[in-house]
Amino acid sequence: MILADCISKHYGRLTAVENLSLEVVPGEILGFLGPNGAGKSTTLRILSGFLPPSSGKASIDGFDLREQSLQARRRMGYLPEAFAAPGELRVGEYLRFRAGLKGLARKQRRAAVERVVQSLGLQDRIRQPFQALSKGYRQRVGLADALLHQPPALLLDEPFGGLDPIQRQEFRQFLRELAADGMAILFSSHVLPEVEDVADRILVLHQGRCLASGDQKHLQQLARAESPLQLEIRGDVERLAAALQQEPALNPSWQVLEILPEENRLRLKSQSPDPPESSGALFRWLGGQPVEVLEFRWLRPSLEDLFRRLLQGEAE
Amino acid sequence: MKAFFALFRRELFSLAVAPYVYLLLAIWFLLNGMVFIASLERPAVQNDLTLLPQVLFGSQGLLMWLLIPVFPPLITLRLFAEEQRLGTLEALLTAPISDAAVVLAKYLAACLFFLLFWGGVLLLFLLLQWQGAPIVWSRAAGGFLGALLTSYLFLGAGLFLSSWSGNLVLAAGGGAAANYFLLILPALLSDVPGPTGAVARAIFIPGHLDKAFAAGLLDSFAVAYFLLGAGLFVFLTWVRLVSRRWVP
Repeated sequence: MILADCISKHYGRLTAVENLSLEVVPGEILGFLGPNGAGKSTTLRILSGFLPPSSGKASIDGFDLREQSLQARRRMGYLPEAFAAPGELRVGEYLRFRAGLKGLARKQRRAAVERVVQSLGLQDRIRQPFQALSKGYRQRVGLADALLHQPPALLLDEPFGGLDPIQRQEFRQFLRELAADGMAILFSSHVLPEVEDVADRILVLHQGRCLASGDQKHLQQLARAESPLQLEIRGDVERLAAALQQEPALNPSWQVLEILPEENRLRLKSQSPDPPESSGALFRWLGGQPVEVLEFRWLRPSLEDLFRRLLQGEAE
Repeated sequence: MKAFFALFRRELFSLAVAPYVYLLLAIWFLLNGMVFIASLERPAVQNDLTLLPQVLFGSQGLLMWLLIPVFPPLITLRLFAEEQRLGTLEALLTAPISDAAVVLAKYLAACLFFLLFWGGVLLLFLLLQWQGAPIVWSRAAGGFLGALLTSYLFLGAGLFLSSWSGNLVLAAGGGAAANYFLLILPALLSDVPGPTGAVARAIFIPGHLDKAFAAGLLDSFAVAYFLLGAGLFVFLTWVRLVSRRWVP
């Protein structure tokens, strides 16, 4: 449905995207993960038909975005990162205008606007001018606009930006429902948990190149490998750390990352590719120590940690 | 066509509710009133009022040299430059509407709206007739048609310049500069002997208003020149939009 075949984009000497290939099939959500400047927006702009690639091909539902741009655009909805609507238009007026722009007849227009307004909870905002809306509602209007003509493919550039936690949750749920209806969804984000939570498959982009791609399990494994285990104990933290480092059964598979005596906390890092699998021996050993474990949890890695790991893996 | 009319209506609506457009209209009417009175006070017009359209719309009038080149770019600056500045252009150009429909809808809406500007000047003629002045309507209508076609040519130039950047000053200033270029360059070259001078004379805009429109004559060459000129700028704007999708 959404296809990019070896696309690259150069701005003079700067390479924004390099040899990127991806495919999103109907009913699938592909999360596009990367820090700011990774090339996510450029890729989405290419896939929306706004920018041409320097090389490679992109298509929506089999229609080439360069040669059959209009047909391709008829089959996709796009929410740009900095979505804006003319400030003088009210939400209802804007959506009716966009429905007309998407070729819907007058009767269909009204029904389409009612449908998206209902789905996205915009009933109370329909008479408000766009410029009076909060960021969260602006995003909803942008998504409503993208969905007006019920396209089979949806491209969303940082759709969670500026939303509060409840709105994010609602947005994620809404995306899942759309995918369940058979829509192919590609969205970008620079926040790891957001992508993990909603995407079926994840593509990690860094400096315009694909660093890793795979399903959630694959990325979670990569992320977990970088996750420290934090223990909160009652007892002597420093003595426990010293004992751990001298224990032949656990050293070098477990390393002390950080000792926080004031907080009674100890952070450990496993050398195993799947740390939770290897933690059994650690907990057995802890059972024989003169301390009480009050809490243990895997700290979620930041996106930077994940990138470091992926870049290290690439260098090796 | 649905998409075209949706955008056309939106453009008209946006012009109709933009406060700065009303400020422009007020200034236009004020300056036109002053130019109109100044034209009426000219000795030639005092002696023969039927000459008013030629004096007002022709090459001697301030209307042609001062107002018509400046006001159209102030309207067209919002067509693309404003969209780019506000960030709404991306949503527009990724919607399923052809680039040709986008350019035509915006241009034709600006042309239709500009009739309002000339409507105010028409009122001055009607007022004069109501006061008992002998207005030769064939000449007045010719003058209006010439001025209208000139403004449509300049709206085309403004549209083209507006598509180049999100900077409103550049869009308006560039449009006005292009219009003055179209006015002044042929005037400077018209005395050059040979084909250069002949071409310059043929495309000298105020000359067409003097000899044809304001004299009450409908010159098909002049009409074609203005329409093709406007069409050329509309075409160039379309090329500009299309090239965004094609030039890597």
